[in-house]
Amino acid sequence: MPTRKPNQLANPLKEGLVNRSAPDPCALVIFGASGDLTHRKLIPALYNLAADGALPPAISVIGFARREKTDESFRKEVEASVREFSRQTVSDGAWSGFASCLSYHRSAFDNPGGYESLARRLDELDAARGTCGNRIFYLAAAPDQFGVILENLRLSGLNRSAKGAWARVIVEKPFGTDLPSARCLNDLVGAAFPEKDTYRIDHYLGKETAQNIMVLRFANALFEAMWNARYIDHVQITASEPLGVEGRAGYYDKSGALRDMVQNHILQLLCLTAMEPPADLDADSIRDEKVKVLRSLRPLTGDDVFRHVVRGQYGAGAIDGRRVAAYRDEKNIDPESKTETYVALQINVDNWRWAGVPFFVRVGKRLPKGATEIAVHFKSVPPVLFKATGEAVDDNVLVIRIQPDEGVSLRMSAKMPGSSLRIEPVKMDFHYGTSFGKATPEAYERLLLDAMSGDPTLFARRDEVEEAWKFVDAIRGAWETRSDDIAFYSSGTWGPGEADELPKRHGAKWRRC
Amino acid sequence: MDAATIAPGLPVEIGRIDKELGKLWESADETKTRASLINLVIYTEEPGALETNTNLIAAIAGKHACRAILILANPAAQESGARAWISAHCRFSGKGGNQICSEQITFRLDGDAAASLPNIVFSHLDSDLPLCFWWQAPFREPLDGKLWSWVDRLIFDSSTWANPAAQFALVHRIDSLAESHAVLCDLNWTRLHNWRVSLANLFDHPAALAILGRIDSACVTAAPGFRTTACLLLGWLAAQLRWKLLPAGDRFEVSDGRHIAFEIREAAGEDLSRVELCCADACFHLDLIGGFFRATLRAPGFPDSAFTLAASPENVAGTLLSELSRGGRHPLYAKSLRAILPLVSAKE
Repeated sequence: MPTRKPNQLANPLKEGLVNRSAPDPCALVIFGASGDLTHRKLIPALYNLAADGALPPAISVIGFARREKTDESFRKEVEASVREFSRQTVSDGAWSGFASCLSYHRSAFDNPGGYESLARRLDELDAARGTCGNRIFYLAAAPDQFGVILENLRLSGLNRSAKGAWARVIVEKPFGTDLPSARCLNDLVGAAFPEKDTYRIDHYLGKETAQNIMVLRFANALFEAMWNARYIDHVQITASEPLGVEGRAGYYDKSGALRDMVQNHILQLLCLTAMEPPADLDADSIRDEKVKVLRSLRPLTGDDVFRHVVRGQYGAGAIDGRRVAAYRDEKNIDPESKTETYVALQINVDNWRWAGVPFFVRVGKRLPKGATEIAVHFKSVPPVLFKATGEAVDDNVLVIRIQPDEGVSLRMSAKMPGSSLRIEPVKMDFHYGTSFGKATPEAYERLLLDAMSGDPTLFARRDEVEEAWKFVDAIRGAWETRSDDIAFYSSGTWGPGEADELPKRHGAKWRRC
Repeated sequence: MDAATIAPGLPVEIGRIDKELGKLWESADETKTRASLINLVIYTEEPGALETNTNLIAAIAGKHACRAILILANPAAQESGARAWISAHCRFSGKGGNQICSEQITFRLDGDAAASLPNIVFSHLDSDLPLCFWWQAPFREPLDGKLWSWVDRLIFDSSTWANPAAQFALVHRIDSLAESHAVLCDLNWTRLHNWRVSLANLFDHPAALAILGRIDSACVTAAPGFRTTACLLLGWLAAQLRWKLLPAGDRFEVSDGRHIAFEIREAAGEDLSRVELCCADACFHLDLIGGFFRATLRAPGFPDSAFTLAASPENVAGTLLSELSRGGRHPLYAKSLRAILPLVSAKE
């Protein structure tokens, strides 16, 4: 947990008030204030926090972008977004309170004068709103602008905090496009902000169910005792979506499923599933354990890549009864594109706990349904007792559903009622929505609050990002030597048949989501 | 999302409640799912309260699934008797028309049957789930050690007590019963949560924080009947700021010898409508207006400013939900109560 610096006076009225570290007063500058992320996610998340009383009143949100706007027109514009995208109904009273903290700062990202005037404006807001010199700079602009923004923050001195205050930066993914570019970006960030003040957002980590993985594993003796190679046969991680590239064609065609999903979200989920219990809940204790997992991943290189990784691209097909085009026929996609929209991998974690337990991962677009889940398949019982009855006994499967319908289910075998011995699989199901009726907060709400409170637990550390790139780059390196291995699949199916071989070699098959 | 409520429900023999509940779910269509996070028992002796409590369960069940056990007791009734009803509160959840349902078992215990309360509770709990017990009647002797030792969260509302001093003493005894591990949850305290958060937020600014140590008067405006609420808020300020109530009970003293005058003003309207904290050259106001807090600051080195903050839930269901979803113990409550107990005991 973050601790208050010795030169900061503690507010005695805040002692013991809430059971999490309270967010400090601060000014939040969003670079890329006209963008989709700001309108769909960030401002609605901030509004929800304000409406729930979770934000300190001494907060200022400053949109920084190139377009001509006034404070008032910016407020109007984001009000429309909040009314459309907020998870809760917008009340006029709550909105007017929140709107008073919003302002707009017009400048090009590469204009040093814009940063100097921003610095003056932030000082004024400190005096007027009591933001105490604390600053968060949120890089929500296009990734190719990160460098110039960071450089200008450094040159203008905005990266340095006043005595007793802090200055933090939040970096949106992608954190580079490969290891060298990630290192370059990390160096740029590191030149302006120390690692402790750098918050790399992977919004999957802000999801309730992702956070619940650690609770499920380490707060339940039932599971942790069996969470190892002795009892677990294999693990499947699935992230499927029926959507195509939609409005992200330009980005996606350069990125592909491996870099877009596996390098960040999927490897983070794998780390949470595979890591050892941390010594405590300190951010670095947890991140140390995740890095150990990443370092234990068996590197996939050369021919191993073609044996353990299947890449695919969607062809034409049908989703929800409607015809959809092939990837190469999508707008703004190269008709010869070799970008993978699907990837399946067998990942091995070479450590004591997971020796011989493969992690099968599949990620894809234009699959039949949207689902992100981790399925832990336990080993079979010895085929002795029920063999004579001819009844097959299904293995136990623990499924952690990240989205949608967040929850946990456990498949087990039960005797069917009746005079004969018939065994059928049954499912015990826990749904977040059923048990906890209240709406789960959006991932960005939690992450923004954590950044304001100085808690980096749910953010990726530099070494995590770089270790993940190392693993992914090796696969991409092998792919670059060939182009004949892309398997095509029809939209609306569960990916190319070649991917079925991965679990099959282990005597398993992909689970039906 | 409309709640489908049957109140108080289907009459059943007490010995057949589990079977009848089973039948209720067997006959329900596939869109209905029974859910339960806690056992929530509400005990009342007010004849009209069953309907209110049933509506309360209907309001909270969609957000905090529970097995609700409502008990209306009339120990003074001439004729003894025990009757029961079962019902369900279902609420649409998400897409697809699925409904999440909470069970409600309602009891009416008259005369001697009221003494069977522990048995009624013990025999109808949903196993392995925590027991939250909202005691809406006045606490009285003798205290049933067995009953209280089963309770995980004891909920009460000190704003409804006619004799707070005696009631707080009984709550303290329940808390100290050998086997009791119950978390004490005073809804009167829960209601103050956003007041406390908002007051604390007023002092985030270093200039304001510097003044906090110079505050020399505190005034809380409360509606008639909410003096205990005002006392609890003053108790919290006293506990956090190390103010000690002087024996005369008319002001606080700080360790440097300074005195802090306080006043509880009565005004019709919200339970609490205003808190003022002032010193010679600065004043901080927090007003509850139209469901929102309006904070006003006047202090040297700090521009006159005002801002709006989210306020507490306005109804009982909101307060109860807030309590149930917060969890954990309430160490600040105990501390605040200790700081102000003589004042709570004083007559209004």
